[in-house]
Amino acid sequence: MAVSSPVRKIVVSGALGAVSIVLVLFNIGFIPWFAGVSITFMHVPAIIAGVLEGPAAGAVVGGIFGVTSLVKAATQPQGPIDVFFTNPLISVLPRILVGVVGWAVFRLFRGRLTGAAAATAGVAGSLANALLVLGLLVLFKAIPLAVAGTVFVSNSLIESAAGGILTLAVVSAWKGIESRSGRSRLADEGS
Amino acid sequence: MRSLEFYRNVSIGQYIDSDSRIHRFTPATKYLWLVALGVPAVAATHPTVVLLGFAATLALGLAAGVRPGFLLRGLKPALPLFVLIAAFQIIFGWPGDRSAVLLKLGPLELTQRVLGTIVMAIVRTISLMTLISLFTSVTTEGEIAHGIEDSLSPLSRLGFPAHSLALAVATAFRFVPIVAGELESIVKAQAARGADFGSGRGGPFKKTRAYLPLFVPVTIRALERAEALAEAMEARCYSGGNGRTRYLVYETTTADSWARAAAVAYCAAAVALDLIIKI
Repeated sequence: MAVSSPVRKIVVSGALGAVSIVLVLFNIGFIPWFAGVSITFMHVPAIIAGVLEGPAAGAVVGGIFGVTSLVKAATQPQGPIDVFFTNPLISVLPRILVGVVGWAVFRLFRGRLTGAAAATAGVAGSLANALLVLGLLVLFKAIPLAVAGTVFVSNSLIESAAGGILTLAVVSAWKGIESRSGRSRLADEGS
Repeated sequence: MRSLEFYRNVSIGQYIDSDSRIHRFTPATKYLWLVALGVPAVAATHPTVVLLGFAATLALGLAAGVRPGFLLRGLKPALPLFVLIAAFQIIFGWPGDRSAVLLKLGPLELTQRVLGTIVMAIVRTISLMTLISLFTSVTTEGEIAHGIEDSLSPLSRLGFPAHSLALAVATAFRFVPIVAGELESIVKAQAARGADFGSGRGGPFKKTRAYLPLFVPVTIRALERAEALAEAMEARCYSGGNGRTRYLVYETTTADSWARAAAVAYCAAAVALDLIIKI
């Protein structure tokens, strides 16, 4: 992988941070599932930043996402669960690590099988998000362990798969990875 | 999608324009007070300490001309959560809880430990919600970005990239209206083609795939714009970091110095009080 310049890392972090802010502010990053439960992909820009520009970019985008969700939870809570996220140790700290985990898993593939590496990074980053947030909710006695376990099994595993799909789609489009249906057209489009 | 017109006015938080003393403090002073009030609210183990921070936040809000009702307006949607927290704690309890039983309703028991946990969770949440609400009421987006660099400048001497972090945050704020505009165009285009963005039938994978035509173009367009901006900055020999001047410089006044000292003193006193109550 080509080494990215510091300026590029900063600007890409800002751009993906903006995507994260928009997803949080407009409540777009939710996929309705069953019984009123939604799975979220708002953390995926942080994983993409980690995969494309390294751990610092992943941490910055994750931090921006975390702080935005904290501000949103405090100023415009949409539902009961939002209010837990007024605690920065629950809303910000785990999100900083999401992009770092995504980068670390992507690096394990050492530049080979880029598509598989991106998908695995998306799954691992999403799992890290779920485990850390639920773990800290239990630690702060917001929810009992039994509830956290139920949420993890019913929600987080599907959420991780969704994270993998979306990370793979964006990284493939950006890097122009060949697929069965040919090279992604988005990668060739001008700005 | 509930509406296609929700991207018009993008704002983070709820800044209230005023010329109060609190508004005139430098961003670094506001960040310091945010940390000074936030640390006890997160880490304190006794509700008295958290409530003290809550009272201090409301007092600062009044000094800034921000009504308590405005700061607390986010609590209304949170009320069901407080009932939920109490229900979770009572139904599931905590393993090995040997504290005194205060109330017994059939198989459900309200113990002293469970009551303490419920009270702490609620006062902590209210305190943090009010604090963040006040911070965003008295701090503009520009101050939030610049304040990061000023607040973390002591760490930059140890190699921490405070300037880069502040630039990334400032870039994010500048990109938000652009990304929101792109999103609106794509949502409208996809909706015109009959896209349902996951609200239709099908399993989670099918619904995730339905979001691809929205998420992928928005992210790719943001990356393309970032690439163009990075090239433009590099073409102008931007290197950032040490020795770089800034258009907007915040003067630290005597009032700022006193306010910063008061923030440190408050935080130390709150932590000490928590330790004393514990003993």
